[in-house]
Amino acid sequence: MTPVAPIPPPVKETADCVVATPPADRAHPAAAALPPRAQVRARLHLEFTHDPASGRTRLHSSRQDPPLKAVRSFAAADGAALLHLHNVSGGLLGGDELSLNVNLAPSSIVQLTTTGATRIYRPRTAAAPTQQNNEISVGENALLEYVPDPIIPYAGARFSQRTAIHLSPGAGLFWWEILAPGREAHGEVFQYESLELRTDVTAHTSPICSERVRLDPRHRDLSSPARMGNYRYWAAFYVCRVGVEPAAWRSLEDRIRDAAIALPLVGPARWGVSTLPSDGLVIRGLVQHGRDAYAGLLAFWRVAKRALYGKEPVLPRKVN
Amino acid sequence: MHLADSALPIGALAHSFGLESLASAEILTNRNLESFLRAYIEEAGLLETVFCREAFRLVALARNPTAPAAPVAPVAVPSDAGPLAALLDRWVDLNIQLSARKPAREARTASATIGRTFLMAVANLGEYRILRDALAASKESGAGAHHSLAFGLASAILGLDESLAALSFLHQNVAGLVSACQRLLPLGQTEATRILWNLKPAMIACVESSASSSIDAAFSLLPTLDWGAMEHPALTTRLFIS
Repeated sequence: MTPVAPIPPPVKETADCVVATPPADRAHPAAAALPPRAQVRARLHLEFTHDPASGRTRLHSSRQDPPLKAVRSFAAADGAALLHLHNVSGGLLGGDELSLNVNLAPSSIVQLTTTGATRIYRPRTAAAPTQQNNEISVGENALLEYVPDPIIPYAGARFSQRTAIHLSPGAGLFWWEILAPGREAHGEVFQYESLELRTDVTAHTSPICSERVRLDPRHRDLSSPARMGNYRYWAAFYVCRVGVEPAAWRSLEDRIRDAAIALPLVGPARWGVSTLPSDGLVIRGLVQHGRDAYAGLLAFWRVAKRALYGKEPVLPRKVN
Repeated sequence: MHLADSALPIGALAHSFGLESLASAEILTNRNLESFLRAYIEEAGLLETVFCREAFRLVALARNPTAPAAPVAPVAVPSDAGPLAALLDRWVDLNIQLSARKPAREARTASATIGRTFLMAVANLGEYRILRDALAASKESGAGAHHSLAFGLASAILGLDESLAALSFLHQNVAGLVSACQRLLPLGQTEATRILWNLKPAMIACVESSASSSIDAAFSLLPTLDWGAMEHPALTTRLFIS
């Protein structure tokens, strides 16, 4: 575990004032004249335990550095602990370094979601990329469901995310991410500067999935027919349960493919599914409208949870 | 040149790596093929050549762990068990890592199948114990032997230049895709040759970039091609295995 850096002095500016900077900030003299902003380093550390007597999972301990916040966990109908991840600053700013550490004790069941989209704001000219580091450990026979809202990178945003997920024997995972093209209502589509997503999933001791995705619209044409084509949203959904036999994954692959065909869609979408080298499968989506991404992921979650756990997924209760 | 010939009988011609699905869905056409392959080189090309170089460097590392210089003399196999065992451990690890970087099952399997056949073909050309050991280690561990890694390892054993090996691999790889497109699209020989010719600067740039790139920094974003590879098993009539 890396040591936590001391919390810097309070940041005077608000997220909104950064958002309000003029467009084309990199070359804009007003942006260059802005005073340097204090860097935020913050960590949210969550430990969950399972109580065999009650069959419930509880948030055992947490460490919370502002602006990251987890108010309390709620007991879900299936004994899971539901927890909402907050960023009280409203979004991520240039130069921020945020860490999320989540540990699930054996047999615990946890559902994590967000209270809204993760906004990546436009950074100041000299600011380093916004960094988010997620370190996740799922104990034996535990289950983590991470079902957040989309990531929305604003014009000029630079974002780097690193996620490492360690699954113990018998551990399960439903983890999705939705990447929006930007603030579409503002006419911002692929106007961010760069996004890097590194995701590593390890089953027991062996890596089963390593994503290294960089979207760099200024230098790499995202509308290339090999990349996004005419689609705007990118989604990835990792479904794992360590120890499940390969034949079961092939069967689930077919069922999810059938579910994708049956999806009622608002606009065009392409969903693909494939088994991983072992212990899981990955679903990838390219969709035109964000609501189709969410609808698809919910449908696949339902099919996969029934197949792997014989249960219906409990949709996250939102606080807003 | 012999080992990098796209006609080398290692089974590469039986795989489209998802292109067949894209041609079937009319996403891939003669008009956009060149730009499609250019993006492929920038993304998957970089990933594969970075791994090709990593496998190439295994031999130098095994010979002298403190000086990872490119080998210049042919067939410099480590003689004692320690470095060889370390080389084989790293070889297996690289194959596991590359498998994890390939989300589509069919494309992942195709890469491992072609790589194994390639390694067997080269191992049978002489007394290359390290290649036979690498094959055995891949089989024993179940890690596979991906094509780019097999090409890099074999090239180092044969004493080739590292960058030349990476470029030869990439050219063979892209030529194989163009060949697949000649069977999937109304693409004539003249046009196929022109496209491959036009892509050579992109291949050279990719290989140059791969020289200084780490595995961690080898990004690849080809969601449409990944979709094609993932959906290939669902095609009702298929010309290719992948």
